[in-house]
Amino acid sequence: MSELIWASMADLGRMIATKEASPVEVVRAHLDRIAALDAKLRAFITVCADAALQAARAAEADLMAGKVVGPLHGVPWAPKDLYSTKGIRTTGGSKILADSVPRADATVVARLGAAGAIVLGKLNMHEFAYGPEGLNAHYGDARNPWDPGAHRITGGSSSGSGAAVAAGLAPGSLGSDTGGSIRIPASLCGITGLKPTYGRVSRAGVLPLAWSMDHVGPMTRTARDCALILHAIAGYDPADPTTSVLPVPDYTKALTGDMTGLRVGLLRAHFTDVAAADVRAAVEAAAKQLERAGAIVDEVNLAQVIHVAAASSAIVASEALAYHAAWMRSRAQDYQPDVRERLRVGAFVSGTHYLRAQQVRALVSREVDEALAKRDVLLAPATPIPATILGERQTTLGDGKSDVRSALIRLTRPFNFSGHPACAAPCGFTGSGLPIGLQIVGRPFDEATVLRVVDAYQRLTDWHTRRPPSA
Amino acid sequence: MLAPVEIDVATLRRMAALGGFAWTDAELESLRPTVERLLEMLERLETVPIDELEPTTQYRVL
Repeated sequence: MSELIWASMADLGRMIATKEASPVEVVRAHLDRIAALDAKLRAFITVCADAALQAARAAEADLMAGKVVGPLHGVPWAPKDLYSTKGIRTTGGSKILADSVPRADATVVARLGAAGAIVLGKLNMHEFAYGPEGLNAHYGDARNPWDPGAHRITGGSSSGSGAAVAAGLAPGSLGSDTGGSIRIPASLCGITGLKPTYGRVSRAGVLPLAWSMDHVGPMTRTARDCALILHAIAGYDPADPTTSVLPVPDYTKALTGDMTGLRVGLLRAHFTDVAAADVRAAVEAAAKQLERAGAIVDEVNLAQVIHVAAASSAIVASEALAYHAAWMRSRAQDYQPDVRERLRVGAFVSGTHYLRAQQVRALVSREVDEALAKRDVLLAPATPIPATILGERQTTLGDGKSDVRSALIRLTRPFNFSGHPACAAPCGFTGSGLPIGLQIVGRPFDEATVLRVVDAYQRLTDWHTRRPPSA
Repeated sequence: MLAPVEIDVATLRRMAALGGFAWTDAELESLRPTVERLLEMLERLETVPIDELEPTTQYRVL
């Protein structure tokens, strides 16, 4: 049982393909785990036990007949509840869509289904993905499994994904990331989360927060599992005109463990230097570890990122309100208060502000490109602080006081803004046992190198194999 | 250093109405500090030398 719960998706796929484990056994083990822990963790909004077992039995029959569709055949997973799932309600973590049942799967859900993966259920999230804490007034706040008292946030907005993967309720998930919503819960919950390049993965059938900042990506316990999922979901989709026609490589082939000669830029000002002391120490130690493994590490500053907070706030506020305008006129009281307030702010951003912000976007993208022209990847903390206590509003960073929300998105949002791929992975623990996450940023469409670095780091360390006490 | 942005509830009400939103004065009053802070931050963007750059709404869709 424990072996199945903590196995990676890659190992589960191998065990299933070699008949060492059956898909029914694997799915049942995870459903039992959900039944035992989810009342405390509140990771799931909807559990699809019957459908998952039915799919597992079908996968088993296929496998017994010698039909293996790939490395994810029979492997369970769970999407954040903003991915359309045919016949399964898709709430967006909201009251407004509480009874909304899509007639078709999102492209990425269909692609994982075609790869043989089995949906366990739909995961909790900050309402409509508009918040980095992962709070939800309608379905309950997901709880961080690393806090035995269950008083700490998971981070969000993909809060259920962070909690479920960290606690062994699901081996993998798809989150979405507009300002850090994959990488923040990955950092706070001690798992691995990849935000691919804008345009690498289809957003068709995914509830939007801000069209030009939204990214879809995997949340798992290892870089290898992120590679497996990304390979299954990436690529052009006629239903999403922003997807790229670039071919999709086999990302697992990049996972060589070799860091020799790779150039890594440690992001200093605005990033590592403002983080809490134990976060800064863990990320600096990770840089040294990569250096010992053969990487060439230098330090770099991105001066223009000081404009990201203002510019991305204007963009997200405008785009989010544009999507929600009709409901904000007719059903404003059905939103949870913090989300309602954030949406309202969009009404006061002018067209001029919006376009000025998009000009700044070009400036920041160019600066990140320039930093990556001389380096293969950039390294920074994923979040400057570990998981805070539910309801905590203020924190202190290296450059002064900050509200928790701004602190959580500060280091991730620049790469939603610029569109570069970025992966969060565990790199240590605080003195009180909370996970610390690093962030590896790569060149556009070079997820292979990002995953190569994270995988190499995971071969050198065991942070990603630690298990939370409350799980 | 730019001067702080101050905006009154009547102005907020007019701006919200342009978007078709009829929010109460109490709701607008509670939003006011957040809006003032955001507008102040956006004012600062006017000082960034980016006039030659075209707005980038999507990027690198190859």
